[in-house]
Amino acid sequence: MYYRILMLHLFLFVNSLLAEISVLSICNIANNTSDIVVAGGSITEILYFLNEEDRILGIDVTSNFPKQTSELPSIGYVRSLSTEGILSLNPKLILGENDMGPPLVLDQIREVGVDLRIIPEEQTAMGIIDKISCVASIIGIQDKAQEEIKDKLMPKVKYLKTFQDNKIFKRKRVMLILSMQGTSPIVAGSGTSGDGFIKMTGAINVFESFEGWKPVSEEAIIDSDPDYFIIPSRDMHKGSDVKSLTSNPIFKNTKAGSKENFIFEDSMAMLGFGPRTIITALKVAKEMYQQD
Amino acid sequence: MKYVNSYQMFIVYSSILILLVVLGLALSFGSYKVTFIDYLYSDMSKVQESVFTKIRFPRVLLSAFVGASLATSGACLQGLFRNPLADPGLIGVSAGAALGATSFIVLGSNFIQGSVTNPYLLPLSSICGSAFVISALFFITRGFGKEGITYLLLAGIAVNAFSGVGIGILTYISDDSELRGLTFWTMGSFGGATISMIGPALLFIIFSFIWIIKEARKLDILQLGESEAYRLGIDIKKLRFSVIVSSAIIVGISVSLSGMIGFVGLVVPHLARILGGVNHSFLLPSSALIGAILMVLADLFARTMIKPAELPVGLITSAIGSPFFLWLIFRIRKS
Amino acid sequence: MTIEVNRISYKINNFSILRDVSLEIKGGEILSIIGPNGSGKSTLMKVLAGDIIPDSGSVIINGKNLNDIEISSRAIVRSMMSQTQNIVYDFDVREIIEMGWLESSIDQANGHFENTIKLISNECGIDHLLKRKFNSLSGGEQRMVHFARTLLQSNGLQKNLQKYIFFDEPTANLDIKRELNILNVIRKKAKEGYGIFVVLHDLNLAYNFSDRIILIKDGKISKMGDPNDVFDDEILSEVYEVPVYFDKDIGRIKYY
Repeated sequence: MYYRILMLHLFLFVNSLLAEISVLSICNIANNTSDIVVAGGSITEILYFLNEEDRILGIDVTSNFPKQTSELPSIGYVRSLSTEGILSLNPKLILGENDMGPPLVLDQIREVGVDLRIIPEEQTAMGIIDKISCVASIIGIQDKAQEEIKDKLMPKVKYLKTFQDNKIFKRKRVMLILSMQGTSPIVAGSGTSGDGFIKMTGAINVFESFEGWKPVSEEAIIDSDPDYFIIPSRDMHKGSDVKSLTSNPIFKNTKAGSKENFIFEDSMAMLGFGPRTIITALKVAKEMYQQD
Repeated sequence: MKYVNSYQMFIVYSSILILLVVLGLALSFGSYKVTFIDYLYSDMSKVQESVFTKIRFPRVLLSAFVGASLATSGACLQGLFRNPLADPGLIGVSAGAALGATSFIVLGSNFIQGSVTNPYLLPLSSICGSAFVISALFFITRGFGKEGITYLLLAGIAVNAFSGVGIGILTYISDDSELRGLTFWTMGSFGGATISMIGPALLFIIFSFIWIIKEARKLDILQLGESEAYRLGIDIKKLRFSVIVSSAIIVGISVSLSGMIGFVGLVVPHLARILGGVNHSFLLPSSALIGAILMVLADLFARTMIKPAELPVGLITSAIGSPFFLWLIFRIRKS
Repeated sequence: MTIEVNRISYKINNFSILRDVSLEIKGGEILSIIGPNGSGKSTLMKVLAGDIIPDSGSVIINGKNLNDIEISSRAIVRSMMSQTQNIVYDFDVREIIEMGWLESSIDQANGHFENTIKLISNECGIDHLLKRKFNSLSGGEQRMVHFARTLLQSNGLQKNLQKYIFFDEPTANLDIKRELNILNVIRKKAKEGYGIFVVLHDLNLAYNFSDRIILIKDGKISKMGDPNDVFDDEILSEVYEVPVYFDKDIGRIKYY
């Protein structure tokens, strides 16, 4: 009987090991851990968070935080990169978010023999922690990273969890608006980074019923009656943004609109799913619930 | 070359020479430092050799062929429709290719396993799209005899509209990962070209060129009008078929490999006419050469202007093409 | 060897344009067709050329049914001058004329092609225009160029074939000099043996110019034959619905 229990444990262990292997192999330590080109704002953010920014040779245009990034050479837009452009910086390691592309370019880079890692992304607080750990493992600084995470991030993650698990007060219902297409706002449905962010703040996404980023009609917005509008914005011109939204008839007719319950945050800080997203989620959660 | 005079021959030979020079230049410049001279004479590092032969060379080759294809197709269509503003997009072939590609990007993974990773299926579905349009156009205009051209244009408008709706719907139902594929493709780029991918395509393109250049004289005679051309012994139906099919093949292939790139088919034939004359025995080959030269140069700028980043090449062709297009309209209005 | 037109009928939207028309075009002869507007003259010419396929009846050229002759071969046996469309691109005058040349090789070494072009341009009075752009010419000059092109087409290298040339109102809008020029050249072609078929508007011209005349009204032939027979006061008045009389002494139509 002990034998059977042993076999079962062994079986389960091997199974979970196999599941982990795919992720593990991406996060294996690289042969060369400096001379890095980064394609993806959150990864750049992570490297600065870990104080390892000296390893960076070049970044993409979504890597706009912190300010010092503007001094680094740019390899262009994360989804339409140039093989030669990247190679001209002589990187030994390339770290990218999962929307790095186009795929043919990635194939070409791999074929030339440069180590290319697409960091897996899960749009939750722990997903961000795993992302940071993965990057840290690749460049061989797990211990230092765990320290930083434990000090600076885990307290916030735990605090966030209380909002997410909360059973005491009523959950806030929110919608996240990316942009205006013509007169219809594009909102976050399920499976989007916007949806992930909303869940991190412990709120409910009123448009969970559909997938992806979609335009919605004025009627649908009024009907959904959210408590807050969350708006990722590129430039933080809060004053003028609020004015243009409150005077917009689409929002004027909602309760949240009339109460000016608009929350603006930097789009990369909100949707990038780097360390800032944890901080921003906590900030937004507090802002929503403290008004009760 | 009986219908080509000596001045025109001079232009063609010069163009060939200029093309060779431009190819040499394009092969020598880019984000990565390796030149044509390096390839011939020095020892290159493994990365340099890789960049030169596997990345830059296929790319330059593809841009030359796509430039030639779009320009020649434009010249043929301007001749067939007797309309100086005709363009491969006009008869809906580009739109058909676009719809085929978009359908594959959004729906393909539902029907074929592992399709997202196979690099051949996208060009194939794109060609299927343009082939479908060609067949539809052919059947729509079949019964109409000599009035066929007008109906062809109308059918082209319908196809463009239909394709627009189709792409719109597919964009709407696509999820985020699929959208990535779409946006890249609609901006036009030669990035990621490999020899294995473009090899068979180039063969088709060359075959189509040979096919259509034989019809050059007939396109001249067509300029007198369809009735006149018929009375001079031209089988209009056959001519229309040849021009449409060969155009569709070369445009369909080009669009599938490099996305939508505008203005080349419209603008280059006019440039060639201004340089050497309007007869098609000169116009078709010279458009091909000039189209290749301009596209190779446009791609060269696209990948060096903001290096190490890259501009979409369609941006550059539009930036140069639109003012030229406006100038063209004024010129036509004057005469 | 003639063109036989046998009982051609043609309708558009149930409206009869041609009704049971039969005629014959012989080599060496100028056959003209006249009639009121809408009588079917131009349509008949299109049927002869093969542009239009009639509902019933047949066209037999040199013993062969027109439908059985390949498009490229039709161009060798008959050429036609008609109203032309706008030419969009800026061709030279010479290039337009050259489009009439059907032979697949230009015999430039031999000089035959060069000579023929020179000859024809000279005959048509346009050799000083060869290097100019076609679109810069006046309407009359452009017509002469098309005329020259038609001649070049009829000229081809097959000498033993009975050939025909059709003209749809060749002298419309031309000044006297050019009109006479064209008529002289057409007469010359008839003498060389070509079968000539001409649609004419001008009754006086038709009388003085033709070997035989067809008078057509509402798609049906009213009278066909020698000009003196066709130009009968009663017949003409009936067809044109206007009282006319024909002065045989001076060969001129007069109206009351």
